[in-house]
Parts: sequence; structure tokens; C-alpha cells
Amino acid sequence: MLEKGKISAIQLIILLYPTITATAILVLPATTGSFAKQDMWLSPIWASTFGYLSIFIAYALHKYYPQKTLIEYSEKIVGMIPGKLIGFGFLFFLLHTNGMNLRDYGEFVVGNFLQKTPIIVVVLSMAFVCAITVYGGIEVLARSSQFFFPVFVVLFLFIIVLLIPVLNPKNILPVMGEGLTPSIKGALIPSQWFNEFILISFLLPYLNKKKNAFKWGVLSVSLVMITLVITNLFSLLLFGDITSYFTYPFMDAARYISIADFLQHVELIVMALWVTGMFIKISVFYYAIVLGTAQWLGLTSYRPIVFPIGFLLVVLSIWVTPNLQKLTEFSSTTWPVYAFVFQMFIPVSLLLIAMLRKKKSN
Amino acid sequence: MKWLSILGILVITILIILYEWPKLKKNQKKEKKAFAVLLLTSVTLSIVLLYFPDIPGPTELIDTIFKPFGNLLSNL
Repeated sequence: MLEKGKISAIQLIILLYPTITATAILVLPATTGSFAKQDMWLSPIWASTFGYLSIFIAYALHKYYPQKTLIEYSEKIVGMIPGKLIGFGFLFFLLHTNGMNLRDYGEFVVGNFLQKTPIIVVVLSMAFVCAITVYGGIEVLARSSQFFFPVFVVLFLFIIVLLIPVLNPKNILPVMGEGLTPSIKGALIPSQWFNEFILISFLLPYLNKKKNAFKWGVLSVSLVMITLVITNLFSLLLFGDITSYFTYPFMDAARYISIADFLQHVELIVMALWVTGMFIKISVFYYAIVLGTAQWLGLTSYRPIVFPIGFLLVVLSIWVTPNLQKLTEFSSTTWPVYAFVFQMFIPVSLLLIAMLRKKKSN
Repeated sequence: MKWLSILGILVITILIILYEWPKLKKNQKKEKKAFAVLLLTSVTLSIVLLYFPDIPGPTELIDTIFKPFGNLLSNL
């Protein structure tokens, strides 16, 4: 086994929750709002079905191959060469998506706060911190996110509570004025965020107590859903129909917080939230890529390739897009389809083939 | 200023090699190969991108494959 570390069920949630919510709370209210209008707070509920489905698929596959990750069992299920091809495709997808995550992080920090800093500096320092974490293995990854997770949650709740006085509840009306369709359309893009839960297949083999793994997975999907319903609801109640015109509605919402002319510029907290969340998100993706690549190549240790892949990630983050507008357009038109193929279609097909094989051998 | 960026890239590369190479054992041939190939790819890519920042990348590749379906989604 490449990875000798073990994580607990709580650590599994602590790793997965920020992995999905970090980008989702900032980017999704705008994209969901453009489809679902005043029903945007319903969309994460529909989208979460994909999250539950992802957990179910990963768990079912994990039952067939308890010690293996997606990269390893795809070879067992469809044979050597097709399996390697699927593995390569999946790793390419993860690498590309993580390059986009890293760029997203850099664009946000440079666009909102460090306006005179070259983006490469921001991206490089984040990649370096993540590389050190991944180098330490899954236990270090889990413990460092355990350290940052409370910060993430407390800061999030802090903003939510401070926003309550400025909300306008009338913005929510009419609820389902045009039936269910707009909110379901709005769920299409968030559904791919929920599908990122398929990353659990890289963590499940290293869980110390497997008994309740499925339950914990379901719990983390539910927590993400509740968080997204709250962010969408709050963005809607604050901005109403214009939510979709912001790039980061939640960020702009935080700018509205002003208590007695004393507590202002709370958006800095959103920045802290984003940095801690993105650190965990990028690290989890990065870890999956490094572990997956080492397994794909049949290496005895994944440590030698951590830094080279980190370098590649930085290069990719610059290469993936010329500017933020192109990135946003790509991630709301092509990326959902692309992600669906790798995060949903391939795992489902693998599961079906594995089930058929099992039946045949009995 | 481009030579400065290249210098930066080379410094990072050398630091990675200095840190990682002594840790690789003699019999870890595969690991050495993977390390070298990945690092070389990244370095070449970063220098090429420095001179030609507009060469089509993975996003363009995926766009040409999946764009028709993506348009379908936004026309719903």
C-alpha cells in the first residue's frame, strides 16, 4: 500500500465539507441565480441528490474493492488497457480542475485584496503550502484541515449572523412562481459541485473504522446542502433579482455589513474563509492527483512526484485561462458536462460492470 | 524581464531536485523516471508559455470536445 496513514470518520467529513463548499459559497449563488431567480435557494436541495448518488457509488465500489482507489479498481473492473485509459482521463480531469481551482483562488485574492501583487506569487505560495501538506500524507492533510475547519465554520456563521439585520424577506416571493422548472435548471451546475464527492473514493480505503462510512458520507453531503441553501437564501434576501450580476455575491453581501459604524469591512473575513477553505480544497484534489498518479504508474512511494506535480499545477493554473471572465464562462458552460462525464458517468459505468462481473462469477 | 522569470523557474527546479533527488534510493528506478519526466514537462511547459502565452491548452481541448453539449445545457 502506498499510503500507510489512517483517518477517522470525522476527519473524512472535515476533509470533504470544505472541499465542496470553499468555492461553492462564493461562485454558485451567481450562477444558480441566473437560472433559478427567486427560487435559487431550492436548487442546492435538488443538486444534492447527485452528492448522495456519488457517495452511494463510491461506497458500493469500495465494498467490492475495499483496499483500492478509483484509479486501481478501474483496471480490475474493465481490464488493463481500458482501465489505464480511464485512470489517465480521470487524473487529467482532476489536474485540470485543480489548475482551475488554483487560478480561481488567485483571481479572487488579486481581484479583491492584493491588487498590485502578480497572480503568480499568490498562486505559487498557495501551491507550496499545499505541496508541503500533501507531502506529509493523508494524516497530515486530515489534521491540518482539522485545524482550519473550525475557523472556516466560525467565520461563516459570523457573517451569516451579522447579515440577518439587513435582509429583506420579501425578495423570496413568489416561491415557485413558475413551478419547479427554474429551480431544477438552477441545480444543473451545482450538481457538479456535489459530484466532487466522488473524491471520497480516494479517501475511503484509508478510513480506520469502515462501519459507518456511508452514514458519514451522507451526513457531509447534507451539511454541504444546508450551507449552500443558507448562502443562496441570504444572497437572495439581500440582493434579490440582481444576485446573478455579481461575480461573488457572498463577498459583496459581506461588504454590506456595518454595525453602528463600528464593525465594518467584514469582507476581510470572507477572504480568510476563502483562504482556509481553498487550502483544504486544493490540497484534497492535489492529494488525489498525487496518489492516483503514483498508483497509475505503479510507484512504491508518491512522495517523489509531489513537488513536480505541484509545479505542473502552478503552470496549469496560468495556462487554463487567459482571464477570469473566460474561466467563469468555461466553468458554467462546458465544465459541468465535462465534470459529469468523469465524476458521474464513468463511476456509474464502473459500478454497473463490477456488479455484472460479480453476478457472472457467482 | 523574461530572463528573470526563466531564472526563477530554474531556481525552483533546482531546489526541487536538490530536495528530492538525494531521498530517492538506488533501486527506485521507476520513481526517478516519473520524477524526471514530470519535472521536465513542467519546466518546458512553463518556459514555452512564457514566450507563447496564447497556445491552446487543456481548456481549449475540452471546449472543442464538450462545447456542443455545454451549449445544449445553457439553451435549456
